[in-house]
Parts: sequence; structure tokens; C-alpha cells
Amino acid sequence: MTLVDERETVEKEEVNPRLERRARRQESWRGFFHAAPAYVYLTLFFVLPLLIIFVFSFASRSNTGKPLLENWNLDSWARLADPLVRTIAVRSLTMAIANTVLCLLIAYPFAYWIATRARQRTRTLLLIAVLIPFWSNFLVRTYAWRMLLDSDGYITQLGQLTGLWERMLFTQPAVFIGLVYGYLPFMVLPLYAALERMDWSLVEAGRDLYASGSKAFRRITLPLSKPGIIAGSILVFIPSLGAYVTPDILGGAKTNLLGNLIVTQFQAARNWPFGSAISGAILIVMLVATMIYFRTGGRTI
Amino acid sequence: MTAETSAVSLHGVTKRFGKDVVAVDDVDLQIQDGEFFSLLGPSGCGKTTTLRMIGGLEFPTEGSIRIFDEEMGLRPPNKRPINTVFQSYALFPHMNVSENVGFGLKMQKVDDSEARRRVGEAIDLVRLTGMEMRSPKELSGGEQQRVALARALVNRPKVLLLDEPLGALDLKLRQTMQLELKDIQHEVGITFVYVTHDQGEALTMSDRVGVMNEGQLAQVGPPEEVYESPQSLFVAGFVGEMCLIPAVVTESGSVRLNGGEVIRARTLSPKGAEVTLTIRPEKLHIYTAATDAPPDRNALKGSIGRRTFYGEAMVYEVQLGASGSIEVRVENIPSIRRWSVGDQVIIDFHPEAAMALSE
Repeated sequence: MTLVDERETVEKEEVNPRLERRARRQESWRGFFHAAPAYVYLTLFFVLPLLIIFVFSFASRSNTGKPLLENWNLDSWARLADPLVRTIAVRSLTMAIANTVLCLLIAYPFAYWIATRARQRTRTLLLIAVLIPFWSNFLVRTYAWRMLLDSDGYITQLGQLTGLWERMLFTQPAVFIGLVYGYLPFMVLPLYAALERMDWSLVEAGRDLYASGSKAFRRITLPLSKPGIIAGSILVFIPSLGAYVTPDILGGAKTNLLGNLIVTQFQAARNWPFGSAISGAILIVMLVATMIYFRTGGRTI
Repeated sequence: MTAETSAVSLHGVTKRFGKDVVAVDDVDLQIQDGEFFSLLGPSGCGKTTTLRMIGGLEFPTEGSIRIFDEEMGLRPPNKRPINTVFQSYALFPHMNVSENVGFGLKMQKVDDSEARRRVGEAIDLVRLTGMEMRSPKELSGGEQQRVALARALVNRPKVLLLDEPLGALDLKLRQTMQLELKDIQHEVGITFVYVTHDQGEALTMSDRVGVMNEGQLAQVGPPEEVYESPQSLFVAGFVGEMCLIPAVVTESGSVRLNGGEVIRARTLSPKGAEVTLTIRPEKLHIYTAATDAPPDRNALKGSIGRRTFYGEAMVYEVQLGASGSIEVRVENIPSIRRWSVGDQVIIDFHPEAAMALSE
């Protein structure tokens, strides 16, 4: 009998199944108490408001636009089929996808570069640099971009000098600059986490097995960093689909997007039920998409 | 040994990391075609770096590496006729066993039916038939090790590099794999360059062993030669068990211990040189103080200081007074006499078994 076998038998003898079950139950209770504050908070300030929105989407309105919790109907949901809503949805979707792809293309090389720095200190400093923008308010930072992109700003002047663009502020590129700027850290961090965990000897093994540098990247590094790519994409895609502040401030609110549409319904149009229905629909689409992802191939992130 | 017949040849190979760290220091080495060559040494001695330079994962700061008389220079690993079995196996976690094994062939664009046949053969060779679709995670350490071996061998490299491939396995499995590796090497006839810190492994498997220390090759030779005639104290101490006793050379073939005893031994140093007498514990015999030792052998008086039971043998530490102490290994054969602590004994050994080495 080897040493390992002996140890296993000893463990088996010591374990009393009833004791073990009780210990496990206690463990799970303790876990629940630790998580309780978070559960309470999320229920009160996240789940409950969402439910209210959901309920409102079936409500009716008074003549003055006041939402009435009576005459429950599906009118607001039916209005989602309106071609105007569809156009706006497609436009938002396109922009969110474009923003996600742009962030991925910019963030991947950067995250790769940080993850491959030999010294831990250098990596930490570079990561802190990524997080520094979060020290100030998003709105403030977006207004700062407005100054940078304004007609007397350097960026516009550079465009006029080279003849590449006449103006920058209140254009589609300006919105993208703002969106990429705002969401890039959410792409960099999960990518870095995935690449930092990478076992680089796998890449060496690939090179040893006749893969060129670029082939080794495509066949080994890229598939192994997939969890990071997907996590980052979700973190960027979801908020950019509902982006409101950036298109409003840097795009001059000229292009109608889902975010603006919802805000308009709740404020100017005084149509809470319709605004709620749009919000609810986005939420459902997102949930279904994420669930499909987790069911198919998407492992733990 | 000419340059033409060498599978791998290193000339003045030096590797520096940064300014101060010299990992490999001016190594010259010829490894012959079909040879099972081991690089043996403690961790940090430069053996892995040497292996990585042969494989192209590192490049020498100075010197040249030739594979079958072809200068490797800065050639990347994918352009060398060499494959490696990595220390932690480095199996691709997102591929199953047969995809792992077939990776190299796919990269070389070997056509599908040919690749499939060779992958099947390689998997048979390492006795993993039926596990083709498993993921590396579902394999035991020994099985993963076999996949790593098959993945390298399937490409029919001219030289196979193995970086401590058995390090992660438990003792029993390691011993089985040692024999299996040796058999596989015979079967495929490829040159194996094997890196290990386990002297037992190096001795049992290799045709020749290169002992490395602090970036330099301390000694190169067949296992028996390295074991029986170490050329330096380092090799003597690192390969196998060795008793070390300080001594002074009195004349050629004779040394004096600190206690005054003059004994015959193999000497290389001139008269008057301070040396260390090295003797293998299994080459000593113990007699009672009353018995006379055979006249053609060295005899030393002492008393049993400590005894340690190893199962197959008993090791006695014999106190030699001013000369120090010496370990004697006595095989546990039937009716062998057991000594107790404090017994007065005479230990004797053949002059050939004692070698005087200086630093």
C-alpha cells in the first residue's frame, strides 16, 4: 500500500457523513449572512425599481400624461414594433457593436503589452494609469472632451490643417471618441486578467511545434484569452447600447438613440408606460443574449 | 567524435541575463546521433537554459549551436528540427488529446490522412489508445506526460529535448516512466537530450551524462565513469552519496588524514596538497576491532556513532576521532551482523575506492 492510499483510508474513516452534512449546512448559512447586506441592497435599489418599471409598462396615462395604475394594457409593448423605434434600435445596436469592436481592437494590444511586462511593479503602475480616469466624474470628463473637440481646440485645428476634417464636435466620430474613451478601461481590465493568467509556456510549446509567431497567437493566445474578450465585450456592449450622456454632449443630441428615446419618453413626452416598455425590452434582450452565451461554450468568466 | 556525426554541438556557448547574471558560461559539448544524453545539475546551474538555447526558446549571448552541422544562429524554434517535452507538459487546454498531438503536423501542413495516421501511431506508441477525445484536464499526470511525449515525437524530430519531464510524477510512476522513456528512445532512435536534477534518473537512463554547475560543464562521460571517477568535489558530492574526509597528500597514491592515519588512495594533486578524500558509503566494510583487515586494503579504526535503517540497507556513521567521521552502507542481506552504537570497529576499503580531490 502506498503512502497516498493510506492517507485516503484514514480520511474516509474519520469522516462521519452526518457531521459532514451539518458542517456543510452551517457553512452555507454563514455564507448567506456574509452576502445578506448585498442581497438586501440589490433587492431594494435594483430589483424593486426594475419591477416598478415593468409594472408601469402595462399602465395607462391620463390626458395630462400622468401614469395611471389602472386599465392595464399592452399598448406600450405593441408600440415597440413602430418602424421609428426599430430604426433607433438598429442605430443604437450598430453603434454599440462598433464601439465594442473598436474598444477590443485598441484594448487587446495594450492589455497584452501590460501582461507581458516582466516586472510586477511596472504592470501595477500601468493598471493604475488605466484606472486614473475613474477618479473624476464621467460627466466632467465628457465635458472636458467637449472642450478638446471644440472648434478652437487642437483636434479640430489639426483636422483643418491637414484638411481631413472641418469640425469635430457634434459629429459621429466625436461620439465614438467619447464612447471608446469612456468604456476602454472596462475592456482592458478583463483582457489583462485573462492574459496575465496565461501560461506562456503554452505559446513556447506552440512555437516549438512549428507555429510561427502569428500562428501561435491565433491558435493559442487568442483562444485562451477568449473569456477575457467575452467579459470585456459584455461590459462594453451593454452600457454602450443604452449610452445617453456621451451622444448627448458630444453628438449634440442630433442622432436619436435608445438612451435618448427613453429619456424623452420619461421627460418631454410624459409617456412613462412607453419608456418603461422600451427599457424592459432592452433588459429582456440582454438577459436572453447573455443566457445563450453562458449555455453555449461560455464558461466562467 | 567529429563534427559531422554530432547531433547537437555547442561551441563556447554563453548566456547572460542582464549585465551580471551568467546562466551558461562558455559551454562546449558534442552530443552524438542516437545518444541519450542527460544534463544533470542542481537548480539554477544553467541546464534548462542550455536546453532552451538548443530548442531556440533562448538565444546564446556568445558562441554557436549546430544541429547536424547546421548553424542555428537566431533561428526561431519553429524552424528547428527539434521538439521539446516541457517540464509542466504545456498541453493546450483548449484541445483534446489528438488535437494536441496533431498540432505540430497541422502547423507543418502535413496532409490530413497522413497526419491522422501518424497521430494514431504516436498515441499507440505512448499507450494512450482510446483517450484521443479526452481533454488534458481529464488525464492523470502520467497520462499528460505521455501526451506531451507523443506530441513531440509525432513530428519525428532529429533531436528531442526533455526538460525534467518526470519531475511532477510520484516515485513509482517516475520509475516506470524512466524505463518506458528509455524503451521509446530505442524504438524511435532519436537523439534525446534530457535535463534533470535527479542523479538517479540521469545514471539509469543515459548513455552519457553532463554534470553542470554554476553555468559550466563540470564533467561529461558515461554514467559509470561520472560515478566512479568524479573529477571534482562538486561532481563527487552531487552524483550519488559520498563521504568527504579532509586529508593531505604525502606522496603519489597516499594521503594522511587529520588523525595521522596514512592510507592509500587515488591522487591527482602534488605532494603536500590539501585534498578531500572521497569514498562511496557502499564501498566500505565493517569488521570487529579484533579482526584483521585484508592486507591489500586500507583500514581505519573507529566506533559506531549513529545508525539509520533504510529498509534495504543500514547506514552507520563511524567516528574516526580526529579524522572526522565516515558513513558506511551495509546491504540488508540475510544473517548480516548488526552493529550497535558505541561498538569499536575497523572499516576497510580498497585503495581504488578512495579518491583524493582538491577544490
